[in-house]
Amino acid sequence: MHLIETRDLCYSYPHSVRALEGINFIAPRNARIAVIGSNGAGKSTLFKHFNGIFKPTSGSILIRGEPITKANIREVRKFVGIVFQNADDQIFSPTVEQDVAFGPTNLGLDEETIHHRVHEALKIVGIEDLAERVPHHLSGGEKKRVAIAGVIAMEPEVLVLDEPTAGLDPQGVHDLIGFINSLSKQYGMTVVFSTHDVSLVAEVADYIYVMNKGKFVAEGNVEQIFMQPDMLRSMRLDVPVLPKLLRSLQKNGVPVSMAYTYEDAENALVQAYKGKS
Amino acid sequence: MIEDLFFIEKQAYRDSFMHRLDARVKIILAFAVIIAIVAVPYSIMVYTVGAIFFLFFIILWAVSKLPLSVYGKRLLAIVPIWGIIILFQIFFKNKYYTDYHVLWSLPLGISIYAESVEFASILAVKFLISISFIILLSSTTKMQDLLQGASRLGLPAEIALALGMMIRYLFVFGYIFRKVNETLKTKCFDAFDRHLPYRYRLRQLGYTIGTMFIRSYEQGERVYTSMLCRGYGRESHLFIAKKPLRRFEWAFLTFSLLFIIAVPLTIWLTAIRFF
Repeated sequence: MHLIETRDLCYSYPHSVRALEGINFIAPRNARIAVIGSNGAGKSTLFKHFNGIFKPTSGSILIRGEPITKANIREVRKFVGIVFQNADDQIFSPTVEQDVAFGPTNLGLDEETIHHRVHEALKIVGIEDLAERVPHHLSGGEKKRVAIAGVIAMEPEVLVLDEPTAGLDPQGVHDLIGFINSLSKQYGMTVVFSTHDVSLVAEVADYIYVMNKGKFVAEGNVEQIFMQPDMLRSMRLDVPVLPKLLRSLQKNGVPVSMAYTYEDAENALVQAYKGKS
Repeated sequence: MIEDLFFIEKQAYRDSFMHRLDARVKIILAFAVIIAIVAVPYSIMVYTVGAIFFLFFIILWAVSKLPLSVYGKRLLAIVPIWGIIILFQIFFKNKYYTDYHVLWSLPLGISIYAESVEFASILAVKFLISISFIILLSSTTKMQDLLQGASRLGLPAEIALALGMMIRYLFVFGYIFRKVNETLKTKCFDAFDRHLPYRYRLRQLGYTIGTMFIRSYEQGERVYTSMLCRGYGRESHLFIAKKPLRRFEWAFLTFSLLFIIAVPLTIWLTAIRFF
């Protein structure tokens, strides 16, 4: 049984063209899944189906093997936490602490548990010292962390991040990579995220779905996807810089093995250099 | 107006004894003064009570270390609203007096009565004291603390949640408005620039206001979606942790309340008049 599964999911906006068509998506336990695609590909629309904000026009969506109904919607929203692209849409309380407490309060938890969850969530995203601050005094990166903490405080098993790197500085992106990896490794959570940042995908994802005009056009692991540069380019995407460089070196006769993450690329280049000298 | 919002917030973030006091103490204090001054009967006794309360306010304002100009600026911002209401009283008779003496007769049968002038001045004193303590409260208390304080004092959860969101998005839209203004300035647009055609300026302002409306509508939709994602429902409320008052806050509150009750009572019983 998968945590999230969609079967031939289709969705049309009212009086609009079809936004999603024949989507078959699977999110197993403890996975890191990237959904990549250009603007308007349908990534955010798909994510809104994962916790029942949107209902499929046709096809189905199963959460832990069960369809989303009125009776289980609350449980589904606790199980699948979504962090939206714009943090200002998601932070609606006057203080950070109150905002992070919003979800746990809605779950009907007692004050002590709420307090514990809030401070644990703030600790996980590294902003414990911001608890008393007001959201409009925070930077974009800090707001993003508050938005994530607000969802984590509900202790979901699946965390869905819509364009998590949007508006973050390089350090913010670096922190986010570490954070997503830790959620999966330390807490066994499944993380689903969308992005245009293909270099982030190589560092974080185990499995990738490529989306274009509301359809999945390719899926596979990092190697399988980034082996298709022409396909990616036709989707207005690109191959990350490191594999692109290594492929170019290979073409020019340098005996270097292919790598997709910074660490693997560094090792490959060191090995290639040592082998030559 | 939007800049006033940031101005008030800036004052509330200063540090002083008054700023550090729990919001509940300041709310009770402000409301106690307002109830006390409003409860004083419509007589010239109000002048004496008002003077003592104003002195109390001045002491508290001095303790808050806020410049007097802040008080003056905020008071003046409210004058057009309450000043006109009070000014109009001098032309009308009211239920508090039986005999009226005409001070001045104006054309169209309009008269200014001595008793109405007295009534208007009593009203002005009551307004001044009430507004001064509200200014003190809002200038020394952060908006979120004010909301938490009010909630701890029993403000209904539904209202607290709505007010909390209002506070949050007041600042979000404040910043959006600032950015829109900066964009207009970057594009050399000035609504008061007489070199530009009047209709063009009006149209551009209309577009700007319309854009703000659309953005607020869209923001509302997105916020509601994210609220649903976090389990928003009929029972939703703002999380307000319990917080007991500290000893010095109890002491300050007790002393202030005794003073606020004692002043009008003493003046009423002893008939002491400063004016």
